Amino acid sequence: MTGLPVAAGVERVAVTAPAAGPAWWLRSYRLLLRRDLIELRLQLVTILIIQIFMGAGMAVIYGFMLGDLPPIRTIYVATGAPVLALVPVGAVMLPGITAQRKAEGSQDFLWSLPVPHTASAAATCTAFTAAALPGAVLAMVAAGLRYDLDLSVSVLVVPAVLLGALVMSAIGYGIGHAVEDPQRTNLYTNLVIFGVLMFSPISFPIEQFPDWLASVHRVLPVYHVATIIRAGLTDGVVTDTAVSFAVVAAWTVAGWALAFRAIASRR
Amino acid sequence: MTSATLATAVPARRGNGWVRSLALLIHWELLSMRIALPMVVAVQSVVGVGSVLAIGLWFDQVPPGAGLYVTTGGATMSLIIVGLVMGPQLIASQRMRGTYDFLWSLPTQRSAAAGAWVVVALVATAPALVATVAVGALVYDLDLSISPMVVPAVVLTAVTATMIGYALAHGVTNPTLVSMATQVLIFVVFGFSPILFPGRNLPGWIDSVHQWLPVASMADIVRASLTTGLVTDVGRAYVVVVTWLGLCAAIAAVVLTRRK
Repeated sequence: MTGLPVAAGVERVAVTAPAAGPAWWLRSYRLLLRRDLIELRLQLVTILIIQIFMGAGMAVIYGFMLGDLPPIRTIYVATGAPVLALVPVGAVMLPGITAQRKAEGSQDFLWSLPVPHTASAAATCTAFTAAALPGAVLAMVAAGLRYDLDLSVSVLVVPAVLLGALVMSAIGYGIGHAVEDPQRTNLYTNLVIFGVLMFSPISFPIEQFPDWLASVHRVLPVYHVATIIRAGLTDGVVTDTAVSFAVVAAWTVAGWALAFRAIASRR
Repeated sequence: MTSATLATAVPARRGNGWVRSLALLIHWELLSMRIALPMVVAVQSVVGVGSVLAIGLWFDQVPPGAGLYVTTGGATMSLIIVGLVMGPQLIASQRMRGTYDFLWSLPTQRSAAAGAWVVVALVATAPALVATVAVGALVYDLDLSISPMVVPAVVLTAVTATMIGYALAHGVTNPTLVSMATQVLIFVVFGFSPILFPGRNLPGWIDSVHQWLPVASMADIVRASLTTGLVTDVGRAYVVVVTWLGLCAAIAAVVLTRRK
């Protein structure tokens, strides 16, 4: 790069850094993260709107469906709002954008860049995790206002929401890259939304569920995400928080594993 | 089905010509949807039956009225969804593929094309409708008294929903906007209308607004035909639905017959 004429004001990027090692990985990660965040910034308003609809909107709608609620049920419905707001970003938008990138060919372009693929994956997951956070907070505030609740917020809510967003991104990334056909991705994400809204114990106590369905949900991540977030927002409502944290962490790793396997087995 | 066949088969005059156009267009629509139709029927059924079953999870003990409301309301939702969402989406995709212009170039009456779409929509929804009501009745042990009024109620609801969708889809030319509008509409209709739950659960002002909007009245007429004594003022509900039908059919007629 030295010796070539460069226009005034253009930043020189040194390509003399070694193309290997943790320093290179970190550098790639930072550059890719910036790229992803810039791309997402354009969609921020859409993301927020979807999150408000699904988070606060559904919390309000569940209230209408159920009619007069005892206080504990109101707490469940309201504290389910941030969880519902996290799902559409990581588990739906991320696979959707991945499918779109695949269809457009821009995913192939990204893979062709001289950066470690793991850095690219990490950057995308980070970007979508970060993008999900403001909407989750907004949804929680809106639901809290609507139901006029007295919540006992503890510092636990921070890792809970972060981990919740992270697991959704991990799962979404896994689905996005493991599913070859972009049209199929759309079907899966619609199924996820429907399943989560209708059949998951996010806003309702799992005790109400038939045993077989409750068992399924103790394996799946959404119930546990709801538990850890609820634990951060209330006092004495939920138990076994540590188990839920562990399950969510396990699912995050599983999502990444699925994604890396799909990336590694690419042509 | 070529336009040549249609041109020789349909003389451009009233009466007999319209019915023949309708029949041919229904055939055409069903054929062109033959791959998508099973999927549509499946999705409608899953959504309808799913909603009915989900209520059982949300309550500790499902209150006696809730099962009835969600079953009869679920049936109405299927009809509304196919008209308000599927219709505009189909038209938007037809615009993109050029099928839209082709259809209008055929020597058939535009009202026959609209009629054909309504019939196809009814065919697409019927299985989901039956499944939703059957599953609901079974799971919640409902005592439904299905009256012959179910036919006009269902047909009227389907036609009105289709006309509203038609007016939306033909009036708004941007397909992305139509898609967004229908998604929002479904969300709002699903959650903020007294279809799946009684109006008293809603804030007063929302409940009042629904006295003038079509969806609550659609739910009422379908519910009245499946139950006894649950719905008051069915006559008014019919008037509201018919009024909206007339309004949207008029809008659709204006939009459809204007020259580009």
